[in-house]
Amino acid sequence: MPRRRVLTGPGMKSTFYVKGICMSKVVIVRSRLRGRPETGGYHQLPSMFRKGFECLTGRKQWSASPAMVPDQKNRIGIKINTIGGRMISTLPETSLTLAKVLAESGIEEKNLIIWDRTNRELKEAGHKLNIKGNSIKVFGTDTQGVGYSSGLLAHLNIGSLFSLIQSRHITASISLAILKDHGLAGVTAGMKNYFGAIHNPNKYHDNHCDPYIAELFDSSLIKSKHRMTILDALTIQFHRGPSYHAEWADNYGALIFSKDPVAADRVGWQIIEKLRAAKGLPTLKEEHREPVYLHTADRMGLGTANLNKIQLIETEV
Amino acid sequence: MNRRHFLKTSAGAGVLLSSGMGHFFTDLYAFSNESNLSQVEARYYTKHPDREIECELCPRLCKLGDKERGYCGVRENMGGTYYTLVYGKVCTSNVDPIEKKPFFHFLPGKTALSIATAGCNVNCKFCQNWEISQVRPEQIRHVDLSPSEVVDTARHYHSPVIAYTYSEPIVFYEYMYDTSVLARKIGIKNVVVTGGHVQPEPLKELIKVVDAIKVDLKSFSQDFYTEYVRGELKPVLEAIKIISRSPIWLEIVYLVIPTLNDSDEEIKHLSQWILKEIGPNVPIHFSRFQPMYLLKNLPPTPQSTLEKARTIARKEGINYVYIGNIPGHEAENTYCPNCQNLAIERRGYRIQRNNLKDGKCKFCSHPIPGVWA
Repeated sequence: MPRRRVLTGPGMKSTFYVKGICMSKVVIVRSRLRGRPETGGYHQLPSMFRKGFECLTGRKQWSASPAMVPDQKNRIGIKINTIGGRMISTLPETSLTLAKVLAESGIEEKNLIIWDRTNRELKEAGHKLNIKGNSIKVFGTDTQGVGYSSGLLAHLNIGSLFSLIQSRHITASISLAILKDHGLAGVTAGMKNYFGAIHNPNKYHDNHCDPYIAELFDSSLIKSKHRMTILDALTIQFHRGPSYHAEWADNYGALIFSKDPVAADRVGWQIIEKLRAAKGLPTLKEEHREPVYLHTADRMGLGTANLNKIQLIETEV
Repeated sequence: MNRRHFLKTSAGAGVLLSSGMGHFFTDLYAFSNESNLSQVEARYYTKHPDREIECELCPRLCKLGDKERGYCGVRENMGGTYYTLVYGKVCTSNVDPIEKKPFFHFLPGKTALSIATAGCNVNCKFCQNWEISQVRPEQIRHVDLSPSEVVDTARHYHSPVIAYTYSEPIVFYEYMYDTSVLARKIGIKNVVVTGGHVQPEPLKELIKVVDAIKVDLKSFSQDFYTEYVRGELKPVLEAIKIISRSPIWLEIVYLVIPTLNDSDEEIKHLSQWILKEIGPNVPIHFSRFQPMYLLKNLPPTPQSTLEKARTIARKEGINYVYIGNIPGHEAENTYCPNCQNLAIERRGYRIQRNNLKDGKCKFCSHPIPGVWA
């Protein structure tokens, strides 16, 4: 049996078959020490990432073997979400740890780019900007000399300029997104994270962001480069998102991995519903903001939003 | 860019008038410092619990959590207070003939200092100015111009009019309003070029401080508005009615797009609605579409289509029907509906002859509605 790979090319398989049913695998790795850095939970991040990759790939042990990444010359973009400030963003502790763990697998640090829309948002979330040649890069699309593509990319209902980081600088992408409730979309997670890759996301929040999130993901610059979703569910905003509200934030202490972008977000949605139910809150459907874009994404063949077709692996470190 | 540079560059832009050149210092791909956006509290919104707000400026009624921006991209909720990010942030400016707006019955032959900020509250697939209307303010260069500096600039160029135009002025409502108040104090008139996607209350307030509004009616079909505009038709029609019943001047532009909004039936219904709700004297301009932005798979509007639309509207009883974007066409002229003589002859944006005297046809003394002096 061939060894599984973490970051394979566009032809990678995100699904497998069980009794003739096409299944997608989603891995939830929870930390026994839940919570944010100040509560001591973050030193477990390296083992959480390694465990997630192990479970996702089926390998017994995470290895830094170059065989894990067939093309080490890939320039990997780690698209993070920093709009929420320090309290509810992908923090540097998380993104840099992921980059370091990827570097263990043979990807050169100079080919790893942690990025988001603006340098201001990156800094507000605690990131230290870095564009030095041989190290892990951290910068926003509004960095001088970066910016957006000059030509519109039109795809279905999407017409946007794409960040040159997404279109030019990187060859493969990981969506390292915060898992949050969202007042308009219902849920914001790995797929919606790519709204940060275009110049006009404000134009795509109508109708619960449907079909825009799915159609943006389906565009060539996203779909052909996306390799994996990792949901940062260390702290989940399960109500009144996407901004931070302490009373509705849960230190869930998990990372969620999947090569199926729809399945990852579907599992994230399920977790949000469970947290809401535990607090006596209505479902997103009852609040008329069910993330219907996931069903659209399913219909478009981007992955599965059917929980019966998702193999969920839950583990703890 | 400081004001001195602005004035210098504006002078250059003024020279370009005759060649029809437009905007200056619009540069989509350069980035200004994000911290240079304005932080002036917006008008027309309601605060809700948990730092949420609801914008009440346009019919979208965006409900936004903390740190989120409205559909327009230029208004942001910061900690439960809603701010306009483009107050005094002019991304485009030019001294234009008033005919370019177009206003044909409002101070013909005069110039208008025309300004815009980034942003728009709809997303027309055929937008001609998408590089400023469909971007966020931090994505384009802009110059800081306070309302008083705008007024000074208009005076500097002897422009009797300030036009809020190019993008969608409703999204820079506060800036437009404050500038209009100052301009009016020294006798400069204010005109607005808008899609009309605005709530009644702010529109009624705006009407108190401006002198004319031109509404771009994109279609007479909600399906078209849904598919190609991403907006609602009904509030636009309501806005047109409100303006028409106010003391300020109104003109309507209808961009005729082949096969999408050019059917005889649609033009007929539109004309009948105008006649019934507004009357026969509102000028309507049927303008030629050019392939733009996200709608490049259609050819420019045939001249015959525009002429047919004009014929239908006139047959329904509308007195002043023009054809736009076809320089030299006879339908650029104003004809007296009483004696049929040429009242105002135009070529492109230039007035060739004006046969009005005190707002009346000099041949038959029939009053021609408009603001003529």
